[in-house]
Amino acid sequence: MMNTPASHSLPVVAGIGLRAPHYAEVLERRPPLGWIEVHSENFFGGGAPLHTLLQVAQQYPVSLHGVGMGLASPDPLDPGHLRELRQLCDAVNPSSVSEHLCWNTAGGIAINDLLPFPYTRDALSHVAARVRQVQDVLGHQILIENLSYYVAFNNSEMREEEFLTELVARTGCGLLFDVNNIYVNTVNLGVDAKAFVHGIPAAAVGEYHLAGASMMGGCLVDTHSARVFDEVWALYEYTLQHIGKRPTLIEWDVDIPALAVLQGEAQKAQHRMDAP
Amino acid sequence: MNNWDETLAHFSAAIRTGAVLAPGALNCPHYAEERGIGVYRNNFRGNLHDTLASAYPVLRQLVGEDFFRLLAKRFIEQQASRSGNLHRYGGEMAEFLTHFENTQHLVYLPDMARLEWAYHRAYFADDVPSFDLPRLANIAPDAYAGLRWQLHPSCTLLTTAYPVAAIWQAHQEIEAADFNIDLLSGGDSLLVYRKDLSVDIVRIAPASLHWLAQLQQGTGMGDATETTSSAHPDFDVATTLQHWIAQGVLVNFLRPSP
Repeated sequence: MMNTPASHSLPVVAGIGLRAPHYAEVLERRPPLGWIEVHSENFFGGGAPLHTLLQVAQQYPVSLHGVGMGLASPDPLDPGHLRELRQLCDAVNPSSVSEHLCWNTAGGIAINDLLPFPYTRDALSHVAARVRQVQDVLGHQILIENLSYYVAFNNSEMREEEFLTELVARTGCGLLFDVNNIYVNTVNLGVDAKAFVHGIPAAAVGEYHLAGASMMGGCLVDTHSARVFDEVWALYEYTLQHIGKRPTLIEWDVDIPALAVLQGEAQKAQHRMDAP
Repeated sequence: MNNWDETLAHFSAAIRTGAVLAPGALNCPHYAEERGIGVYRNNFRGNLHDTLASAYPVLRQLVGEDFFRLLAKRFIEQQASRSGNLHRYGGEMAEFLTHFENTQHLVYLPDMARLEWAYHRAYFADDVPSFDLPRLANIAPDAYAGLRWQLHPSCTLLTTAYPVAAIWQAHQEIEAADFNIDLLSGGDSLLVYRKDLSVDIVRIAPASLHWLAQLQQGTGMGDATETTSSAHPDFDVATTLQHWIAQGVLVNFLRPSP
């Protein structure tokens, strides 16, 4: 069943993740890009990074994608981090703000990565309270992204899609469905991708992510360093059929290619969205 | 600690220190559990290494890429990250280098680390509106002494033992650089701050540094001027005040509470 997108203002077209190597080219040439997404933390504070983003934001809709909030950390949310995100939102007026379903800080020590955790009922209450806290500070809904992970916890009490569904119900948050992440989890941990697509509330999904991964020592690592895999395109098509069209991002963070390559990948996503 | 905290604390230790998890804690059907945790270990070290390399580019050039890798590895073992924002990681590098046995012969490295950290922090510091000069005209002259000035949030004042500003400069454009620097020519009095969009490293008079450092600590202008003048009899507060307002270093003042 098709559903209408959640109430976000990103255009329902393909966009790209904008990283430092392409700032100058994007500002000078102003190529046709549906929208752009950046990592929020890279623009905390002021100076040249923020100045660049404000210029970009005059040309394109901007999505702020956080990698450091640690929504599921056992430690309290960092009030400084929240304040800086709020300050950035006030300056940029983004079309969308998103965070990951993960943690990064325990006992005052941070691991600057996107870490998995057991999907328990206790964790659900904890994460829901923190999503509400972030939404209260920002004054609007955020999207929560499903995670790629390399080990799963045996003491999980539910699947990730059940956790996310309940999180949406409790907080009114939206979802960012990273199609590549589910594919990575399928390969590494045998997660059922189609069950995930059918398990999340379609109406809450406000954005898709697509990226390329790397097989390393028998483990598919979500490196964001390659073209989107054929299997991920196939899953994306399945997702379009069953959830519907949403703003779709090409993410590329390592070994970043020419802008034209990113535009080419975005074009492939657009063709699939436009297919009857 | 409840189960939840404990599970995550153990997982964190497994990533950072190689601690072994309780058997059966993780599910990993297609490869060894250590392989899965290994991805997180690599990310953990790699992210912190890259963060240090980007905060300390001159330090990295001075010791070479391979040695920097070892130095960063040791630093990472000793200094945990405390923030979800990686730009905050690495501030203890100068202190670390003071004790790091393998670089004791490079005596100027801790000073260089202080300079590069100041530069890094200035780059990411908040923006603030520049000072509105007419505000000063509304202050009665006898109230000047009580004003507490605020410096631009990007400002760091540095007194170094070695001429690191010249070394830093020489490493910005390696081809045209003048490496004929006498290490024993004395230290620098430096102000590192962001002016417009770029970070400046400015050599300043020791009297200016003395005065600005006190203002930065919250000392009122009268007291700061008095102690600066007694150490530096030529200190001219009127000129200095105007100069640092014009340069965007003094950005605001608070009036003393009545």
